Amino acid sequence: MSQAGRTDAELVRRCRGNDADAWNELVERYSRYVYAIAVRGFRLSEEDAEDVFQDVFTRVYTRLDSLRDDTALRPWIAQLTRRRCLDALSARRDVPADEELTKEGSSDLSDVEEAFEVREALAGLSEACQDILDRFFTRDQSYKTIADELEIPSGTIASRIARCLGRLRGELEGRNQDDEGSRD
Amino acid sequence: MAGDYLELQLGDFLDRLSADGLAPGGGSAAALTVAFSARLVAMVARSTLAWEEAAGVAAQANAIGERAVELADTDGRVWEDALTALRDAEAGADDDPRRDFALEQKLEAAAAAPLEIASLGADAAALAALAGEHGDATYRADAAAAAALAAGGASAAAHLVRVNLGVRSADPRLARALASEQAAHDVAARLLESHR
Repeated sequence: MSQAGRTDAELVRRCRGNDADAWNELVERYSRYVYAIAVRGFRLSEEDAEDVFQDVFTRVYTRLDSLRDDTALRPWIAQLTRRRCLDALSARRDVPADEELTKEGSSDLSDVEEAFEVREALAGLSEACQDILDRFFTRDQSYKTIADELEIPSGTIASRIARCLGRLRGELEGRNQDDEGSRD
Repeated sequence: MAGDYLELQLGDFLDRLSADGLAPGGGSAAALTVAFSARLVAMVARSTLAWEEAAGVAAQANAIGERAVELADTDGRVWEDALTALRDAEAGADDDPRRDFALEQKLEAAAAAPLEIASLGADAAALAALAGEHGDATYRADAAAAAALAAGGASAAAHLVRVNLGVRSADPRLARALASEQAAHDVAARLLESHR
């Protein structure tokens, strides 16, 4: 199974077994997420974000056994990160940290969460779907360019993208249902 | 002065468009025409409940619309740069290779934005074709209108590519712009004909 296809629960089980590769994979999978919450969500400086990053993964390493639901790794890491970011803000300024979170910051935080969820859901799609969505939405390629490079009829590109988006929505809805189930 | 069009009310943008000065000009107007087209397609798709791909088409249309609005801004900026360089060149000495090279670079940059706008026009028209085929009957006239707008935007943009590249007919960028224009017009002609 590819790294992208391994579930968080499987990853957690392997980390609990002291599998060094699994730990590396966990850090690789969540490093950008933690960093994005710190920088985009809480507007921390790079230096503070680096401190948060180190602290969060140290806590994940030492407290993984306290995670009650192996499928809830991401919300747990998000919670650890948010708390550590608030600590960092409090330490830097003489104002209550909660008041530092503006509506804009909260919105950015929500964007980070959403972007990460989409990225995870994308990994559940076929390579063909991942490729065509990446070309259109990330690389801003035109239908003509996509058709030429993939050697498929230009008139079918928009429909293919629409179908892949439908599958992506299915993946996301499945994940959200899983998340709600894991909170019960 | 170019820039920050995204921050303007539509009326303010139109006032700027009609004011004297360099930008916004034809490229920005063409880009916004394509944006109108794309957003109309999104409206048709969202209004059609019994179309499985509707949400995916609306998402693509909105993405194209956003890119077109960004290009309205970009086009104004690069065209203003190019025109300033052109006027400097006209006022300067006759033979200055470095200045001529810099001017050529700016004109090429000024051609790149309308080339993208023409391409987005073709893509918006392709989505309008889908909306015209699968959209709710109540909204198919809007799909045809979207295709007509896309074709108009693509034509205007292709014309600006031709002008900014200095009428070098063999340039592959001009061929791409003209192909985009043709693709958008084919869709528009088909959809408009179906409503006669």
